[in-house]
Amino acid sequence: MEEKRIGVFVCNCGTNIAKVVDCEKVRKDAEAQPGVVVARTYKYMCSTPGQEMIANDIKEHRLNRVVVSACSPRMHEKTFRNTCRNAGLNPYLLEIANIREQCSWVHDDTQAATEKATALTRAAIRRVEHHQPLESRTADMCRDTLVLGGGIAGLTAALELAEAGYPVYLVERADHLGGNLARVDLTAPYLYSARDLLLERISRVRNNPNVQLMLRSELKELSGFVGNFQAVVETKTGNGSSQIRRLPVGNVIVATGYKEFDAGRIAYYGYGRLPNVITSFEFERMLRAGRIETKDGRTPRYVGIIHCVGSRSAEYHGYCSRVCCMTALKYVQEIKSAIPGCHVFDIYIDMHAFGKGHEDFYKKGSEVKTMFLMYKKGDHPIIRAAGKRDDCDMLIEVDEQLSGERIEIPADLVILMVGMEARPDAGEVARLVNISQDKDGWFIESHPKLDPVATTTDGVYIVGTCAAPKDIPDSVAQARAAAARILARIAKGKIEIDAIFAEVDEDRCAGCRLCNTVCPFSAVEFDESKRRSHVVAALCKACGTCVAACPSSAIKGRHFTDQQICNQIEGLLAGI
Amino acid sequence: MSIRVNPGFISELEKYGAADVQKCYHCGNCSAACPFSKEPFIIPRKSMRYLQMGMEKRLQGTLEPWLCYYCGECSEQCPRGAEPGETMMSLRRWLTSRYDFTGLSKLFYHSWKAEVLALVLLALATGIGFFLWGSSMGDINHYDGPQAFLPSSAVHIFDWSMAGVLVLLLGINALRMWWFSLGSREDLKLSFFDYLKAVYLLPLHFFTQLRYSQCESKRPWLVHLVLMLSYVTLFVLIMFFLHEMQSGPQVDWRVHIFGYLAAAGLVLAVILAIRGRLKKDLQQYRHSHASDWLFLGLLLYVALTGVVQHVFHRTGYEFSANISYILHMMGVVPMLLLEVPFGKWSHLAYRPLAIYFAGVAESALLKQNQQQITEQAGAARAA
Repeated sequence: MEEKRIGVFVCNCGTNIAKVVDCEKVRKDAEAQPGVVVARTYKYMCSTPGQEMIANDIKEHRLNRVVVSACSPRMHEKTFRNTCRNAGLNPYLLEIANIREQCSWVHDDTQAATEKATALTRAAIRRVEHHQPLESRTADMCRDTLVLGGGIAGLTAALELAEAGYPVYLVERADHLGGNLARVDLTAPYLYSARDLLLERISRVRNNPNVQLMLRSELKELSGFVGNFQAVVETKTGNGSSQIRRLPVGNVIVATGYKEFDAGRIAYYGYGRLPNVITSFEFERMLRAGRIETKDGRTPRYVGIIHCVGSRSAEYHGYCSRVCCMTALKYVQEIKSAIPGCHVFDIYIDMHAFGKGHEDFYKKGSEVKTMFLMYKKGDHPIIRAAGKRDDCDMLIEVDEQLSGERIEIPADLVILMVGMEARPDAGEVARLVNISQDKDGWFIESHPKLDPVATTTDGVYIVGTCAAPKDIPDSVAQARAAAARILARIAKGKIEIDAIFAEVDEDRCAGCRLCNTVCPFSAVEFDESKRRSHVVAALCKACGTCVAACPSSAIKGRHFTDQQICNQIEGLLAGI
Repeated sequence: MSIRVNPGFISELEKYGAADVQKCYHCGNCSAACPFSKEPFIIPRKSMRYLQMGMEKRLQGTLEPWLCYYCGECSEQCPRGAEPGETMMSLRRWLTSRYDFTGLSKLFYHSWKAEVLALVLLALATGIGFFLWGSSMGDINHYDGPQAFLPSSAVHIFDWSMAGVLVLLLGINALRMWWFSLGSREDLKLSFFDYLKAVYLLPLHFFTQLRYSQCESKRPWLVHLVLMLSYVTLFVLIMFFLHEMQSGPQVDWRVHIFGYLAAAGLVLAVILAIRGRLKKDLQQYRHSHASDWLFLGLLLYVALTGVVQHVFHRTGYEFSANISYILHMMGVVPMLLLEVPFGKWSHLAYRPLAIYFAGVAESALLKQNQQQITEQAGAARAA
């Protein structure tokens, strides 16, 4: 067995660590540990001189193990792994002791914190002795992409990939393309026609030979891993029969969209009971037909628009649906241009005019003398039929916040701005493509800020309103972002598989399949012929669940072996 | 009890000059900038809101527009160009028309042509009347003496009769103002003592325009103060010292020095105001309603014809002095009859009255607000 030559590097992190932890004391203790040939402190270990110091020591002292006592490994493990690699050392022969987030930042007792940092560093020293050099691997990948959903997001993603020259399967459940946008008249805030926006995309999609359009189709099954998925798609062919196709794809884009909130769930708006209380989508239909009228064919003199129907409420959805405010302002413009004498009341909680051009659009809505009336979050207007002597069909009653008065608003037509919600079958889609949903049913992204279109399953992306309510520009941007991610992967040509994953010792495996069920990433497969389980390295996230679950200790987590962990614990407890 | 909103009201107010109030989205910057906005009188946001929602009942009882002097700070701070200052100005015009029981005020604010027509007709009637009246009393070639065309004793009686008519008309309108703002409000319990202890506010603010002086820009206040003091001086001279004023032809400096100063002040202030409105160099001069121009034009005409008839008289051109006296009266009579009870000039009564009424009601309103807040907090806790 080779002689272990360990270098320990204790970082001051300016004063972040040094003001609570006596780094020199930690260094001295480390220096005295068996196998340690050099121990140093430095102001900022992650800085270029700090990294150069480590690299020099690796060469000069012929170090074959490195411990860095510094910040969380999430912060700089990659940095120091690269330092090791550049100095000729396998990057997995490094161990980080977190003495900042888990020590100096959360303690103020200098002596105790120093003892804790010392123990953490000893644990890392004991652990690193047993580190093994590991290598990441690569696999071939399929360049075809599966896009689920033919709305504006799915169409855009498909076009982006197809026009770059790669095949796309565009799967749409309905018998036409366009999704929810196909139900809309004009779009806010620039009043572009939704039909024009869509027709341009649709004709380009239809004319692109790289897009294989599959209407009346649904994904039934997805197996495999990034670069090498197998999709099973069912296409209804009429007469109740259907055709099943198996498609090899490298990546999947989920663009399944949203469903509008069912206004019938709210009793106090009288939807379904009062004939002239309609939803925003019903009003879009009127606009597209070019006739704004009441159920009995009269031109309305008063139109009330109520915001946040089903959104931002404790009873229904707590979130904001993001598009309704601007859509309501669009209605203001469309009503005023169709019926100049009509009075429009916009009854809102807060006007969310957050996007580009939105504030100007809000101002335009004011300029045409819309009466904006504010109600309180948690409260709601009440709609009732008007009396015989009133010059209107309905009266909307509400506690108006900006005046502090209880008011009644005349209305011949009331438009309910219904919010967005996750589709009822979103859970089924999530299960099929192995991604998660939040409490509202929206698909969860890998990181809400830094990785908004990727998911925890490599190769599966979420774009548009299936991930959360959003408007057209955001949906389109996400579609293009996902396409760019996929094109980058295609450009690399290979899938890189992390060196850290679980491995099954087939001699020890009893074939009980417990690991198959506990794996949250569906990474453990069962080989029927051998009656043994094996881990698909590309899918494994090295969470260790199967390692812990295996009754015959047949599964080993690379870089998390029992010996490494036991040694780490021993090191931690050595001082006690 | 809920109040029905009236979406058409905002267009009605356009005739009074409020062209931009619909742009307001109630950020509250205007009320933060206003030196007079203080509970219970939130200026100008509260009135803007009532206006947008068409709550006429609430609006006709509000005193806030009269508590504003249009320094324009609010309009400068407005992020939406809703012109709160001009909106308050328009509301003063609208309130004037509301206080007026005859409907003439509304007619004149809606149509400047109607106002000009009324002015011209009244001027012609005055001219013809004075010519016939003068001819029946004396000779148009004589200004002073027993054959005087328009002897001061006769004009004196005319002046006091007209003052009586004006006081009656304006008094009725002022009473209506009281009824709208205080009298009809059952929620306000006001005692005689409340009215008595605030009464000092009336003369104080009438003569000093103390509140106006608190605006950041002092120039409009000074111009306005000079105009007002000059006018009051001339008013006192004409009403109480007409005999001394009109006798001549030699100059009686004990009386005339006041007249000269006041006339100079009046002409100067009017010219400055006209210049401001032409140059639009201050917020409050940027928008001019037809009624503003008519008012300034009339003032200038009356002041100049007064000066001209004085000069003709003192220099011995008695015929010309009498003619210019009639021309002067052809401006004075229509101006006073139309502007004091029905037009812009009515603010000489409404502004000090509003400050007085606000002083009377202030503590009661504050108590009421406090009570509302406590009740709301209680309801919130219960919920």
